Amino acid sequence: MMQKKVCLLGGFAVGKTSLVRRYVTNVFSEHYQTTIGVTVEKKMVTVDRQDMMLMLWDLYGEDEFQHVRESYLRGSSGYILVLDGTRKATLDTARLLQQTVVRTVGPLPFVAIINKSDLRSEWEIDQSVIDQLREQGWPVFLGSAKLGQGVDELFARLAEMLLSAAPPPRVSR
Amino acid sequence: MSVEEDWAQLRTLLLAPEQTQLDELRVRLDNRSVEPRDVSRVLPEAFAIRGEGDQQMSTVLTPYVENGFVATVRKSPQTIVDAIAPIMGPAIRQAITRALQSMTEAFNHSLDESLSLRGFQWRLEAWRTGRPFAEVVLLHRLRYRVDQVFLIHRDTGLLLHHVAAAGVVIQDQHVLSGMLTAIQDYVRDSFGATQDQTLNQFQVGEWTVWIEQGSRAYLAGVIRGSPPASLREKFRDVLDRIHAEQADALESFDGDAALFQPVQPHLEDCLQAHYESGQSRNAPKLWILGGTVLLACCWWGWTAYQAQARWTHLLMQLKTEPGILVTNAYSTWGKHYLEGLRDPLSKDPSSLIREAGIHESTVTASWASYYGLDPHLILRRAQVMLKPPSTVQFRVDGDTLVATGSASSEWVIETRRLASFVPGIVRYNGEGLVAVSIPDLLNQINHAAIHFSLGSATVEPSEHSSLNAVLVALRDLDQAVAQSGQRLRLEVLGSADGTGSATLNLQLSKQRAEAVLEILRGEHLGASTMLPSGIGEVLDKRVALTKYPAQRIVTFRATIEPLDPQSGPARP
Repeated sequence: MMQKKVCLLGGFAVGKTSLVRRYVTNVFSEHYQTTIGVTVEKKMVTVDRQDMMLMLWDLYGEDEFQHVRESYLRGSSGYILVLDGTRKATLDTARLLQQTVVRTVGPLPFVAIINKSDLRSEWEIDQSVIDQLREQGWPVFLGSAKLGQGVDELFARLAEMLLSAAPPPRVSR
Repeated sequence: MSVEEDWAQLRTLLLAPEQTQLDELRVRLDNRSVEPRDVSRVLPEAFAIRGEGDQQMSTVLTPYVENGFVATVRKSPQTIVDAIAPIMGPAIRQAITRALQSMTEAFNHSLDESLSLRGFQWRLEAWRTGRPFAEVVLLHRLRYRVDQVFLIHRDTGLLLHHVAAAGVVIQDQHVLSGMLTAIQDYVRDSFGATQDQTLNQFQVGEWTVWIEQGSRAYLAGVIRGSPPASLREKFRDVLDRIHAEQADALESFDGDAALFQPVQPHLEDCLQAHYESGQSRNAPKLWILGGTVLLACCWWGWTAYQAQARWTHLLMQLKTEPGILVTNAYSTWGKHYLEGLRDPLSKDPSSLIREAGIHESTVTASWASYYGLDPHLILRRAQVMLKPPSTVQFRVDGDTLVATGSASSEWVIETRRLASFVPGIVRYNGEGLVAVSIPDLLNQINHAAIHFSLGSATVEPSEHSSLNAVLVALRDLDQAVAQSGQRLRLEVLGSADGTGSATLNLQLSKQRAEAVLEILRGEHLGASTMLPSGIGEVLDKRVALTKYPAQRIVTFRATIEPLDPQSGPARP
């Protein structure tokens, strides 16, 4: 079975873990995220009748006190950017994170999901911004951790991208 | 015309060899089919060139190779067997040896523990904690055991292959691989270590995790207990070998771990375990147990052999014993069974069983009675039935009972009548039997006299024949009296001649009677004869009773009296 390392990135408290929790095999406590900055989880997906095992590296939320450890990004085949629709600042964080990934491991396939679609009225990220992101080539999904929306599509799309993508560029250590 | 011909001739002269070659080339160009010989020249090289480029050649050839292999297996399996035997043989032997070793080890452990106080404590612990006894023993005896080995891709943290010891509870090994990689990155980042400086080991409780780094992948071993340094060398060797054998797969790894299935035996080599009690410690117990079993077998074999020998001996004895005829004999599970015929007068089989050393309770015998015609038995039967006096001797001569000796005329008559009724006796021969009557014997005794020299109380040799005649008559009389249910009272009377004083004569008479009585006492007379206990009581009667009042003799007075059941026959 094909395995792929995928990083889950986003600003502080955007709901990364909440978003994927019900879809993954979680062996380790979330406590690890705050201690070593990452929890590894497993998600099985099927693309074109082919099973794929996504090893999700759920990285600690980027904020002014803690930055994503770049070493965790190495070896990734793709990544997921998570934004909070009610906080526009998380879009900036997502942009920074995306640049970090490109700088560290190169231009990898990625998908973005804007969380809290159940609170659409409170969103600071409006449709025009979303369209703009899509024009820039960002595959943007809208999702809700509370309602369990958008996550399956997100994983399916990422898996398709990973399958069609060339092997990740090798990073010498 | 001549010019044309000249040109042609000139061309032929100048270009004849080239012309021939040109013609050949033209033929080959016209004939587009490829000659096998030409292909064979370039085929190996062509394979090599194409193989370097991509895997197309392998893909195309694989089905043909597979079909060819299947066909070979079907047609001549022996060829395949011969080819792989050198590889399979050692592998199978190794597998069997390992299985036997682990089985012996497990047996030794359980044997060890079940016999020791510690084992009892551990059993208590198992009972208390609800864990299987084997697990408790394992935990206590374990020096180290490699529970799991992970081969992890260094860049991605993805699991390439994983093996675990039997019975080890495994969490999600894929997630664990990711976390192991993350932890290493974290530690390296936190301490500002360079890429070459890696986390090689960490310890949690009774577990140690050893990490052996390679250029493309690393090996992580989860070990319970205290592993020796040599184990790390083993890890290193295995990792190096994997890097050498799987260099291409590691280099181009894109997430397909199935390619790493061949590393399984290498990783399994790392699943080592060592227990506190080595083979040497366990060996004596195994030897003792084996020895005990062997001794028990020997003892059992020896006792079984002895029992069988005793049984055979008993059967031989029974076979030779007159009056016993064994018709069926068998033994199972230490019990013996006998069936046959037995003359009531034969020897008791129980005594024979005891003599053979066999416990009577183990023998079940069932005897049917019969009359044996063995001369010895016929003789005994005749003695039991005819009750001959001790003066009579029986002998069996074929089917004839021969009686000799002397007996009362009543017994002689009765025996002549009854003898032919004894089973086994057809005829009776009593010609050698002398019939005696009680009155004749009494008369013979009462008229006998033992003479003495003057003044002597010693029985002269010349008188011995007279005394013997008295003795013979006494014996016959005793037998006759016994058969008639009476008893004989004998009095011995001494006397002296008229010379000398009366006192002296009385003394002498007494001494003479004592001398004769002494001889009589020394002889074996029948139980029915009462000898005098002393002489004194009869002396007073002497003068009145003796027929020879003034002679140097001893006489006898025998009388018959009815048997007094109260007193019984008395012997001096």
